Amino acid sequence: MHRALLPGLASMILLAGPATAADAPPGASSCTGCHAPKKVADSVIPHIAGRKAADIVTFMREYRSGAWPSSVMGRIAKGFDDAQTEAIAAWFAAQPE
Amino acid sequence: MATRRHFLKLTAAAGLAPAVVSAQGKARVVVIGGGFGGATAARTVKALQPALDVTLVEPNPVYTSCPFSNSVLADLREIGQQQFRYDGIKGSGVTVAETSATAVDADAKTVTLADGNKLSYDRLVMSPGIDFNWGAIPGYDEAAAQKMPHAWKAGAQTVLLRRQLQAMDDGGLVVMSAPANPFRCPPGPYERASLIAYWLAIWKPKSKLLLLDSKDAFSKQRLFQNGWAELYPGMIEWVPLSQGGKVTSVDPATLTLTTEFATHKASVANVIPPQRAGAIAAQAGVADRTGWCPVEPVAFESTLQPGIHVLGDAAIMGGMPKSAFAANAQAKVCAAALVKLLAGEKPQDPIVINTCYSLLAADYGISIAGVYRPDKGQLTDVPGAGGVSPLVAVGGLRGQEALYASSWFRTITAETFG
Repeated sequence: MHRALLPGLASMILLAGPATAADAPPGASSCTGCHAPKKVADSVIPHIAGRKAADIVTFMREYRSGAWPSSVMGRIAKGFDDAQTEAIAAWFAAQPE
Repeated sequence: MATRRHFLKLTAAAGLAPAVVSAQGKARVVVIGGGFGGATAARTVKALQPALDVTLVEPNPVYTSCPFSNSVLADLREIGQQQFRYDGIKGSGVTVAETSATAVDADAKTVTLADGNKLSYDRLVMSPGIDFNWGAIPGYDEAAAQKMPHAWKAGAQTVLLRRQLQAMDDGGLVVMSAPANPFRCPPGPYERASLIAYWLAIWKPKSKLLLLDSKDAFSKQRLFQNGWAELYPGMIEWVPLSQGGKVTSVDPATLTLTTEFATHKASVANVIPPQRAGAIAAQAGVADRTGWCPVEPVAFESTLQPGIHVLGDAAIMGGMPKSAFAANAQAKVCAAALVKLLAGEKPQDPIVINTCYSLLAADYGISIAGVYRPDKGQLTDVPGAGGVSPLVAVGGLRGQEALYASSWFRTITAETFG
């Protein structure tokens, strides 16, 4: 899974520049309403910028299947297929922690 | 289509190749309204493309957040904790014009300001929030709101309603009136009823709350009603439309609310009136006969006036509710699309998320979430996604969601205002 993500991740890094953030994959920009780009004090919501893409994908799949209990994340993860989830995970992995 | 055609017309007229920086100077983006939609849009456009000239038009030096303002009514927060300044936005390179927009000329692409200045734009973002349909309930006008506060724009109205609740005798009757759809914050009236009951149960336990509703169903309804039965048995009475819930007139002098079936004399009255897009939307020609603003679902460009994008509560966003989270999410999508359009590129089809928490008590939260994408010209629910908290909570879920709610508030206000 991790290997499969690498080409996507590499191309994101190559595109780094003013337009990169504009090219966040569909859905990614909504996530930061709860998952702050910079760490927020006293937040119980996990910080995901800079996390490994494979870990984010695993969590999203487990939320989606219900294997990992959640509040809103199970309901949100069901709105994204594997390819969309992987693109979002790669994008967050490429952001500064 | 209109977007592309309009853009090409614009660049052709200016004799320019599509580029962000022209010989005449930087491309200009003007944003009207410094709430969760507008402030986020201005910051995000500037962050994505620092070469753009971005101006945010907002007359208030301090923004008072509606989300969590019901907690102020319940003495769980102070109004100061709801307030945010624009220093962070100024610091990010956005010009803040501390005045109101009085007119938009969509053909000339100008915004006239109350201070007499006129701003030209290449792209305009309007996030004007709501205005009230004064007089839609006979007797309820701006003067009446000083006696029967709406508290649906947070600030002085929130403080007024809190003061009235505190002055009420134990055993008093609080009467709320909720409007028909659509309106700002669909679960908001029911969170408010919950948190007023939370406060009454502590301080004025013989009191009751009557919620007169102009509709027969509401957001997170079973979760709210189950929670009311569990937390505040017998305290909240909800009267739906079909049982005479629609308020047909009010008398602020006597604090009475009249429905088709009865007249209710309140100790404290909270009238949440019918709403429409902020007044500047109609002036700009982006509001339709409903009073709200139709937009296409990719860049949220007005279907009535090319070159103007409308966000947040003012816009008709298909299945998306009018929430702060939605406005912030739409703003980020719109900002990315604007940067693309100004560079002569085509924006990608977005996926937009909404998440909305409501509190029924300090440590009792519930949520609704949805995932939306463009389909047949409007933002539409992705099938199988979204929904509300489970009716049966296990493992302290309600307490956990209350914690998530407060973390969300800190995060979204930091992202919006810096």
